[in-house]
Amino acid sequence: MITGMNGQDFTLLMRVEQWLYREARLLDDRRYDLWLELIDDKIRYRVPSRGCVRQGHVKDFSTWSVERELEVPDSLPLIDDDLTGLRDRIARLQTGMAWAETPPSISRRLVSNVMIMDVDEGGRLSVHSTLFLHKVRGDSRVIFTAERRDRLVPAGAGFRLQERYVVLDEVVLAADNLSLLF
Amino acid sequence: MEHSDYVAPDGSWIKPEIFSDPALYEIEKQRVFGRSWLLLGHESQLPRPGSFIRTFMGEESVLMTRDRGGRIRAHLNACRHRGYQVCQEDRGVAHRFQCRYHGWTYDSDGSLAAVPGEASIYYNEIDKRQWGLAAVARVDTYKGLIFGNFDGDAPTLEEFLGDMAWYLDVILDRRAGGTELLGPQRWRIASNWKVVAENHCGDEYHVGFAHGSVFPELGANRATPLRYAREVRPAPGHGLGINIFPDNLTPWECLKLSAASNYPPHVRDYLLGIQDEVVARIGAQRARIDLIHGAVWPNFGLVPALNTIRIIQPRGVGEVEMWSYSIVDRDAPAEVKAWMSGLSVRTFGPAGSFEQDDAGNWSAVTHSSKGTEARKHRLSLQMGVGHEERSDRVPGELGMTASEINQRGFYLRWMREMFGEACK
Repeated sequence: MITGMNGQDFTLLMRVEQWLYREARLLDDRRYDLWLELIDDKIRYRVPSRGCVRQGHVKDFSTWSVERELEVPDSLPLIDDDLTGLRDRIARLQTGMAWAETPPSISRRLVSNVMIMDVDEGGRLSVHSTLFLHKVRGDSRVIFTAERRDRLVPAGAGFRLQERYVVLDEVVLAADNLSLLF
Repeated sequence: MEHSDYVAPDGSWIKPEIFSDPALYEIEKQRVFGRSWLLLGHESQLPRPGSFIRTFMGEESVLMTRDRGGRIRAHLNACRHRGYQVCQEDRGVAHRFQCRYHGWTYDSDGSLAAVPGEASIYYNEIDKRQWGLAAVARVDTYKGLIFGNFDGDAPTLEEFLGDMAWYLDVILDRRAGGTELLGPQRWRIASNWKVVAENHCGDEYHVGFAHGSVFPELGANRATPLRYAREVRPAPGHGLGINIFPDNLTPWECLKLSAASNYPPHVRDYLLGIQDEVVARIGAQRARIDLIHGAVWPNFGLVPALNTIRIIQPRGVGEVEMWSYSIVDRDAPAEVKAWMSGLSVRTFGPAGSFEQDDAGNWSAVTHSSKGTEARKHRLSLQMGVGHEERSDRVPGELGMTASEINQRGFYLRWMREMFGEACK
């Protein structure tokens, strides 16, 4: 896929990129209502905790994998939501008493390094992208960087998000909460 | 300023600088974090010889291990040659910890096992027995939880916990298999540690408002006392919010009045199914007590209603690192544990429905305490002064839900530990 992309592949890649940009824009614009329309009923939205652990064998770079840091025994995820969880998360913001986002944070999401890793027989896409999220709230300013591993399913002219796995580049979060979505 | 001006004699007010004065924080390092029993972790995190965890006592890095003989050890995570950390990882399995500066190597029991150049450049003159890792003076466990104390002359852990242990049993001892910890989730908050600890210890008042997003149905009734809930102070510095359900209610009726009321059927069935075991282990009286929130002096926070415990690690006078764990019954079915720990994540993780809104409160309190003008004015802790009660059903002093009885105890304990003031 990555080498020898043909014209069709490029068209698909551009459609995916445009979809991701639009999604980021909806979140920056705080249009959670429209964002939910991009979400598949079977969504699994996960942000694992990352740990500091030793690589398996120092001479074997395959054991230096990020995965080891995401699979520390007995760890807890930071977010593990299904559709109900995401809807509850967003409904809470509308109570007027979700103080961490009332008034809302100022956010800007940059999406880059978009790669289609795989397309299965059902046309479902495995897409990786890099997210740079800048959040300003009051006196505080926080930056998150992350890899997002998404599963997109074709829907009409666009896609729906069926899986998102967010690999945050943090062990101890510098942010005092995770009030925004990645 | 006289230190007697920091906290009212009856605890009914405090002065803001206790949250931001660097000189006080330096004293706290010695007299609070240097003398108290601090939560290190749980035996479940050290399942076999060689298991290790890197943790903190105050700001000091601590290496906790299970040695070759199965004994739990805690040492300062600092090489005795230059002080470099001998363990950099969060956890793992190892019997050897090698300093990456000059290579001194320690065993999982803390002893110095190898010194590069021991014969050739130390002339075999170094007595390795004298240069083991510095042991934490006291390490003890209470029903699975591991505590450490830097003060060899401190009271025993049992004395330190006192009647708090009677309450902790409700979560720690309700099943034969005990509990286990999942986590931690870790994040930084620009808050003095006491602001966070006092909130866990006794602040039911904020729940209806600060967490109003979770209880939209309360409307104007956000400060109405809860019928069966009480704040309880087993001893100053320790505090809990609990439900004391009456004897005439069945376990099912108690469950419906607790946070478990909207649990899914398989979790409710589990909780009802273990009732006989719970009653046999902790008695019918305590089986009717439901722990909601609490804190063990100084920085061990509890939110048992949502299966959460945390260590509020100080990081200087104005910052904490929150280490939040889910605590679950070890012998519960996997799907029950998954749901219970998921509840902790959804509510009290950094993305949780409650926790998201707490950090901003605590950092704002800390920030305003820095103001020269703001420091001239006392902060009120008078809710329920003189209305403390006792009950023949539970140990300690009780206040309404809400009452600031536990925060008053917290700050009076702080005065006692810091300045030796008599503690009411």
